[in-house]
Amino acid sequence: MAPARLHTPAPRARTMIHPGPFNPVRIQSQHATHGRHIRLALAPGLSLYEGLVKPLAELGITSASMTILGGYAARLEYCVAPPDKSKRALIAYSTPIPLGETYIIFGNATLGFDAAGKPLVHCHAAMRTDTGAVQGGHIITEETIIGPWPIPVLVTSLEGFELRQTFDPEINISVLKPLREQMI
Amino acid sequence: MSQAVAESGAMGRVAYARIAPNEDLVQGVEKLCLAEGFRNAFVRGALGSLVDACLGLRDGGTQLIKGPAVEIVSLAGEVRSTEDGGLQAALTGVVADPQGHVYGGPFIAGGNPICMTFEVTLEEWLPED
Repeated sequence: MAPARLHTPAPRARTMIHPGPFNPVRIQSQHATHGRHIRLALAPGLSLYEGLVKPLAELGITSASMTILGGYAARLEYCVAPPDKSKRALIAYSTPIPLGETYIIFGNATLGFDAAGKPLVHCHAAMRTDTGAVQGGHIITEETIIGPWPIPVLVTSLEGFELRQTFDPEINISVLKPLREQMI
Repeated sequence: MSQAVAESGAMGRVAYARIAPNEDLVQGVEKLCLAEGFRNAFVRGALGSLVDACLGLRDGGTQLIKGPAVEIVSLAGEVRSTEDGGLQAALTGVVADPQGHVYGGPFIAGGNPICMTFEVTLEEWLPED
C-alpha cells in the first residue's frame, strides 16, 4: 500500500531498514582537550597507506583525522557503494576499480585500528582520472601509489581516545568507533 | 554595501564522532555539538555515506542524488551558535553516487540521511568576546 502523502516538502528523506537491531545510541563521540596538528608530505613511491601510517606511527600517533590536500597518484584503486545483492548489509563496496595516473583533488581519511589491532586507514576522495573525468569514492589506500611529488596532508591527532574498527550489529559490518583508551 | 567581518578566536577541544544510519547529516553534526558542549566549531574531517544526497540550489530548489549509497568524498563547514539560543551547522561538500559520479553543493538540513556510517571530526572554535 502506498504511504499517505502528508504535508512533507519533497524530496522526503528516506529511512532505510538495516538487517540488525536498532541501537538507541545514535551518536558515539569522544573529545580531546586540544587538537594536535601535523603537516605530512607523503613520500613519492610509497602506498598511500604506508605514506600516512609510518610517519605518524613514528610520532606516536595511531588515531587521527586527515585532510589530503591534493596531488598525483601514480596509480589508484577505489570502490563505489551500491546495494548489497547478498542482502547481508544495505550496501557493499564494489570490486575495486583500478585507475592509472590520477590526480587526487581532495580527500579525507581516518586513521585507527582494525579489529586485529593493525593500523587502518579509511579514505574517501574525489579524483580526476587520466581521461579528465572526475570520480569519487572509497580509496583502497594499500593499492594507491603516491606519484612523483609529495602530497601534503593536514593531520589532526586524536589524543586520549582511540578509533577502533568494531562490528556494528545494526548494519552488519564493522566501522570505526571512538573508544576511551582506558576502556580498551 | 558589503563589509568584511573578521572574528578572532582560538581553537579549543577536538571531538570525533560516529553518527549512526538514518540520522540526518546536518542535524547530526548539530547534535554532536550538543553532546560535546560545543557552541561554535569547524569541521576538520569527515567521511561516510548517505542514503541519498540533497543539495541546495540558488533558486531555493534542491538537487537529489539517488543512492544508496552516496559517498561523502569531501566535506567542509562550521557550526555557529545563533541569537535565538540555538546552533546551526552549515555544511558543504562533494558526493559520489553509486556509479562514482560526483556532485557538489550545500547539504540541506533534514534531507541527507546517513546510510551506513558517518565519521566526523570537529574542532571547537572559541571566539574572542
